[in-house]
Amino acid sequence: MTTFWDIVHLLTGTPLIPVAIMGLTWGILGGALPGISASITMALVLPFTYTMDPAMAIALLACVYIGAEYGGSIPAILIRTPGTNSSAATVIDGYELNRQGRAGEALGISLMSGVVGSLFGLAMLVLLTEPLSWLALAFTPPSYFGLGILGLSVIASMTGGSLVKGLAAAVIGLMIATVGTDPISGVTRFTFDVPDLLNGVEPVLVMVGLFALTELMSQSGSVSLTQLKESVRIRLPGLAMMNRLKRSQIIGCILGLFEGLTPGGGGSIAAFMSYNEARRWSKTPEKFGKGSEEGVAAPEAANNTVASTALIPLLSFGIPSSNSTAVLLGGLLMHGLLPGPRLFEQNPQVIDSLYVGSFVAIIAQIGVGMLLLPAAVWLVNRPRPYRAGFIFALILSGIYTLNTSTFDLGIALALGVVGYLMRRTGFPFLPMILGVVLGHMVESSYRRSLVLSGGDMMVFLQDPICVGLLLAATGFVVFSLTRELRDGRRARAEQARNHKTHGQEAHG
Amino acid sequence: MNFKADLTRRTGLALLLAGALAGSGLLAGRAAAEPAPYPVKVVTLVTHSSPGGGSDVFLRELSKYLGKYIDATFVVENVQGGSGAKAVARVAGAPADGSVFYATTPTYIYTSLLSKPPKTYKDLEPLANIFADSEVVFTRADGPYKTLQDVVDKAKKERGKWGAANPASLERQAAEQLKRAAGVNAAIVTHEGGGDMMLNVLNGTLDIGVGEFQELRSQIEAGKIRVLATFNPERLPEKPDVPTVKEAGYDVQLVKFRGLAGPKGLPDAVTKTWDAAIQKVLQDPDYRKEYTEEVLVAKFIDHKDYPAFVNSFATTTEAFLKETGAIK
Amino acid sequence: MNKDAWSGVALLAVAGIYYWATGAIPDSTLEDEVGAVGLPHVLALVLALLGLILLVRGVLAARSEAATAPEDEERDARLPRALGFLALGAAYVLLLPYVGYLLGVALLIGAVALYEGAPRNWTLPAAALGGAVLYWAVFVKLLGVNQPVGTLFQGLFS
Repeated sequence: MTTFWDIVHLLTGTPLIPVAIMGLTWGILGGALPGISASITMALVLPFTYTMDPAMAIALLACVYIGAEYGGSIPAILIRTPGTNSSAATVIDGYELNRQGRAGEALGISLMSGVVGSLFGLAMLVLLTEPLSWLALAFTPPSYFGLGILGLSVIASMTGGSLVKGLAAAVIGLMIATVGTDPISGVTRFTFDVPDLLNGVEPVLVMVGLFALTELMSQSGSVSLTQLKESVRIRLPGLAMMNRLKRSQIIGCILGLFEGLTPGGGGSIAAFMSYNEARRWSKTPEKFGKGSEEGVAAPEAANNTVASTALIPLLSFGIPSSNSTAVLLGGLLMHGLLPGPRLFEQNPQVIDSLYVGSFVAIIAQIGVGMLLLPAAVWLVNRPRPYRAGFIFALILSGIYTLNTSTFDLGIALALGVVGYLMRRTGFPFLPMILGVVLGHMVESSYRRSLVLSGGDMMVFLQDPICVGLLLAATGFVVFSLTRELRDGRRARAEQARNHKTHGQEAHG
Repeated sequence: MNFKADLTRRTGLALLLAGALAGSGLLAGRAAAEPAPYPVKVVTLVTHSSPGGGSDVFLRELSKYLGKYIDATFVVENVQGGSGAKAVARVAGAPADGSVFYATTPTYIYTSLLSKPPKTYKDLEPLANIFADSEVVFTRADGPYKTLQDVVDKAKKERGKWGAANPASLERQAAEQLKRAAGVNAAIVTHEGGGDMMLNVLNGTLDIGVGEFQELRSQIEAGKIRVLATFNPERLPEKPDVPTVKEAGYDVQLVKFRGLAGPKGLPDAVTKTWDAAIQKVLQDPDYRKEYTEEVLVAKFIDHKDYPAFVNSFATTTEAFLKETGAIK
Repeated sequence: MNKDAWSGVALLAVAGIYYWATGAIPDSTLEDEVGAVGLPHVLALVLALLGLILLVRGVLAARSEAATAPEDEERDARLPRALGFLALGAAYVLLLPYVGYLLGVALLIGAVALYEGAPRNWTLPAAALGGAVLYWAVFVKLLGVNQPVGTLFQGLFS
């Protein structure tokens, strides 16, 4: 049993505090660089942990993970480029707030929501690893199919007013997800004998192409600067604001908890779903997409929760539920530590320092964030021509690190053209991104289920989790479509009215 | 992504970290013995696996001990992407002076055959083999199957549900061959890696899984998983009571090899040094302890015989893939 | 024809090309019943259907009245301008293997800044070079990414 004095010793007698803070800072920097995902950030630091004390090494990696999940939101808000896959949902309202000159506020909200999510996730990890680990086991292939469909059902509320265009974008996203090695038979699909395509198209290329490059292209030559109006001021949300964000943060925490437990996710599904749910339960759903604080809080709480809860299946079964936890598994194995029930008995000091280190990192996140953010804001506040050049170079440098491949750069540029055309013709981006992120999971779990059942479709109805998730998905679709269609009609009516009276001022 | 692990070439925060917090162990492998002279100072060992992945761990552990026997600095480089195609191309294009080697696994044969990249296994010269991983058939400990025969019997009565860790992999091939040898009806379900499959074995979705012993160690220790048989030609030294699949009556064997390959035209001096060094490093007591714990079986094949071994493996695999129509 | 109709045509074309490309997927006995081509075929058909709906709707709408364009695009750069911006990135990608990362980034930052109307004074080369050194320090030195050295300079570093 860990005593109070063990913790005091960890904090004073070992370099845990500096390790945690360095890991966190490194993670925030890596996560904030577009294209450098949480897992790459962790992998980059992995070789340096070989020579460290195992307990410190594992704490360091966990803190890098926490920092990277948070760091991804910084470029999402500031330059419309999600730093990690799971911060794609933050782009929607975060960047919108930025455009309204409220970047400091958005960054503060994302910082504090991240802290809330991380603390919740850590509490779950420390208190409930045993009871929650069964949940990871309860997920069979049909359940994963249900989960994937539930994720796709979010599309219905992200069609941007045109169902046909939203669906078409989603289908194209799913098509991109089919490139690469077939998940069941292992034959190659749509690779055209290009080795770079064997592992498929990385979702982050699609996000960067659609969000960031399209934005840069559309702004090209514009004189009306979307400069930040206020100076370098990061504003942490006050008590009143935190109270207002409470609901969306709780939604984010709960969905993050579940996604962390189920292998295969990695935070993006939870982020998108919590965004969607926060809108449904919000008192001001109309603000979503137009700069809602809750629209930043929910996905950021969700993906930061995942950074801790993803460790539950890792520590209890040795099963990595995401690329990031796979790197952590590598770190454990390097030090001869086998995750699993015996790790808790044989190496309690590793577990203790992991928990305590994470806690230190989460608390330190506020301070480190407040130090780093003004610099980031200052950087994106440079004169527009230079800013455009620096962002473009940053994006192309960042995504090169994915596979050290110029082919990836070409794909991102091509997707920039696609994104620009989609924007001009009114196709929404989000369904396409969801399609790319979820396509693989939906297809492989569907086919895997049918292989198991010998082609009997009943397999999906015999799995209670799958049935529950599919019912929820159906409910979402019906609910969202009625709302979207109603809102769309209302918006068109309003527009027509405004059109008659006076020229309407443009908004996002 | 791709990076060098030697400290001298790196600066920045990470170095600071390593420098400030380095424990012991860095120089543990450099004891007395006299290393053999070597023509180059720095040897780069390339792997397609990500940091922390199977081949990466293998190379990093190996390189800790190699310095004792070969007078050079060993650096691990991760060249990911294209399921190994890019790493093979990297090594095939490197100078053949013994400065660059690639960590071979069956993956590079599969990728060469399935996706026909510009550079394949034929463009590399196998140097020597070092290990064989242990491939096993396993089931959940509280499940109804006690022996491989139970599993086959079930699959004879009704449809069996067998798992393989990855599509178009050695495990898949093993499962298909076992199914054929036993003449039973079994659905062979491929997964996204060993961990994914293990969940489905633990929760009873699958009767058995075919996977690497290493990935199961913690669950075996925890008593959640029972190993029914191994595809290795001989019994596992760590689990002498587990029969081989062949002993259980089905003539299926496989060797998931781990070795090194270099660019074509390696000088004799280099290959001779390696032949000697690998034999010695496998005898190194510290390293031996480390790799037996991981249930890696030392399987040294020297430079003379290794190309034939790799080629015969490739021929068998190619025949299997052609037969199933995965390639034409 | 309006934008929706053209989008419909584009979707039909994408669906057609995608369907045609499924022909290259090998037929393996390791496959399940759905098969490697199962989902791609469904996707191609659905996309074609959606394209058709858009086309028909676009043509009908064009006949009645031009659809109101989203306001956002009024402020957007026109296609040639936007493509020109992207072409700078394409040039970077093509030149990267030759000029290497450091010079490549400097050229990219400089070219983009010029394209976006930066004043032609000493700030321009200073920012381009400073930025390149900064990125080189972060990506090559700090993160240890093997960005291309460039064949032009290979002799200098190897």
